[in-house]
Amino acid sequence: MFEGIATGLATALDPANLAWVGVGCIAGTLIGMMPGLGPITAIALMIPVSYSLDPAAGLIMMAGVYYGAVFGGSTSSILINAPGVASTVATSFDGYPMARRGQAGRALALAAFASFAGGTFGAVALLAFANALAVLATNVGSPEYALVLLFALSAIAAFGERGQVLRSLAAAVLGLMLGAVGTDQSAGVQRFTFGSLELADGVSFVLVAMATFALAEAFRMVLEGGGETPERGIAHPRLHPGDAKAIAPTVGRSSVLGFLVGVLPGAGATLASFFAYQLEQRFKCGDDADRARGVAAPEAANNAACTGSFVPLLTLGIPGSGTTAVLLGVMLSYGVQPGPQLLQSQPAMFWGVIVSMYVGNLVLLALNLPLIPYIARIVYLRRSVLVPLVIAFSLLGVYFTSLNTFDIHLMLGFALAGLALRLAGFPLAPLLLGFILSGMLEDNLRRTLLLADGDFALLLERPASVALALACVAVWLAPAVRFLRQRRRRGAAS
Amino acid sequence: MIRRLAPLGLVVFGLAYLWQALSIPLDPWSATEAVNARTLPTVYAVVLLLLAAALLARPGAVNAPATQMTGGRRWLTLAAHCAAIVCFGLLIPLFGLWVGIAALLGACLVIAGERRILVLAIAPLAIAGAAWFLLRVVLDIYVAPGRYLP
Repeated sequence: MFEGIATGLATALDPANLAWVGVGCIAGTLIGMMPGLGPITAIALMIPVSYSLDPAAGLIMMAGVYYGAVFGGSTSSILINAPGVASTVATSFDGYPMARRGQAGRALALAAFASFAGGTFGAVALLAFANALAVLATNVGSPEYALVLLFALSAIAAFGERGQVLRSLAAAVLGLMLGAVGTDQSAGVQRFTFGSLELADGVSFVLVAMATFALAEAFRMVLEGGGETPERGIAHPRLHPGDAKAIAPTVGRSSVLGFLVGVLPGAGATLASFFAYQLEQRFKCGDDADRARGVAAPEAANNAACTGSFVPLLTLGIPGSGTTAVLLGVMLSYGVQPGPQLLQSQPAMFWGVIVSMYVGNLVLLALNLPLIPYIARIVYLRRSVLVPLVIAFSLLGVYFTSLNTFDIHLMLGFALAGLALRLAGFPLAPLLLGFILSGMLEDNLRRTLLLADGDFALLLERPASVALALACVAVWLAPAVRFLRQRRRRGAAS
Repeated sequence: MIRRLAPLGLVVFGLAYLWQALSIPLDPWSATEAVNARTLPTVYAVVLLLLAAALLARPGAVNAPATQMTGGRRWLTLAAHCAAIVCFGLLIPLFGLWVGIAALLGACLVIAGERRILVLAIAPLAIAGAAWFLLRVVLDIYVAPGRYLP
């Protein structure tokens, strides 16, 4: 392994390759910052550039694009509450409120450091456990996936704020319902499309995210009027003194969790970031550092998961996410067949890509930290300028994903519905999570029942499934237990 | 008020969704499957109805801060923004995306209360121009021209 790392270092630290990592990070950050353009789009857009490079340099650049785009997505989530990709939605929960309170620079710095730490952990873990993890990942089947997804949705209720459990659950169910719109993948029948061709492929994630977060947020600002403009004086571009200590355990937990979730094909950075955020809610202390931990957790997790998703790609040739599927296409176009033989046939490339993930993280941190004070200025714009900009960018993002004006009107409808839900006290994050997981849940449940000939018992046949099912039950019971405990406490006090 | 109406809205939505879910056409093979195209949508609708019923029964169990409700004038401003977005959607096929986005930005700036002439004149053109340069020239993404303008 050490020989491999040395080979990888030699490849990654080659001046030309190092320059391409830098180019990839900058391009990825710029593209990722645009609402609607996420890592998949960024990598796809950079394919023509990569064709002019040799395979190792091309793949190394793509790793930089990937990390850059993920960080760019976090930037738009934090600054204008417009998560262009699902994996940065959780970052906006605490990042955006921090930005509105004049701590945009601190939130961006937290995101940058946590991403770096998560990515570093992921790269080290990938170096150490790539082969062993690939074997483990192949043993996770549809029943486990279905239960993992159920667990993710259930956790919303358990970890929801006080008095918000029912509303959180209702929002998650609304998301699941929205995710069912479109052509059913198994039977080929159209559901809830009302004969509209535009809805045949379902509603796009970007549309729902932009409508419920960016556009609905802009509408909320319109209704609030002048209110809460951040104070200029407190936009620290660096971490607060106690931040590093406060987020260190969070980053550790989230990195491990993110990497393990990222290794599972199909799970990826989105689930990892939500899990990490939900996990962190259990460690709330009620102080200022809570928000910092809320930003650091999903950022560390999604970067670690990005690295984790390379495990099935490099060792088995199976893309673990949409982004790695595009990367697989890039590899195949170079004539590189990822899989168990890659390590033997092209060790320089295998280790080079892994080591450049770490180098990419380092370059990303070095490039982005000095830029944070300038990027953070966007939140000081007057409301009369910020609102139109958020509206225009979110509409542009949605239009570019479909080039269809129907989506603009649909987005307006969703944004108004989102605003109404917000005014009624419903959290919108569970809606988005439900929407993202809807298709995956249905696919895995169906696959499981197809394998079991309709017998639900297969869901509980393996030890891992039983453990996950028990975790779901525990999570369902958590609000009731909390309620009973509070009642007992109140009774004792009175 | 909106908090009390929301569960009722969910009930109406849930019932409509349930009705639509039960109308999803099934072929004879999928009709016998344990989970078919209708199953999960039906389950979702039933769960939503149950949750809405629970919310109707316990409407007071909310302690999240409500967004400040505002006067009629701000609702009018919101309506004007919505109208501008609808017009943007209608303008794109006629005059293309770049004219549409510049017009939308200009309209939204005016509606939002921006009165500085320089900002009103420069911002829409600068944003539309920058978006055009980045997407059309740098990234080479094709955007269909409008019927009357390229």
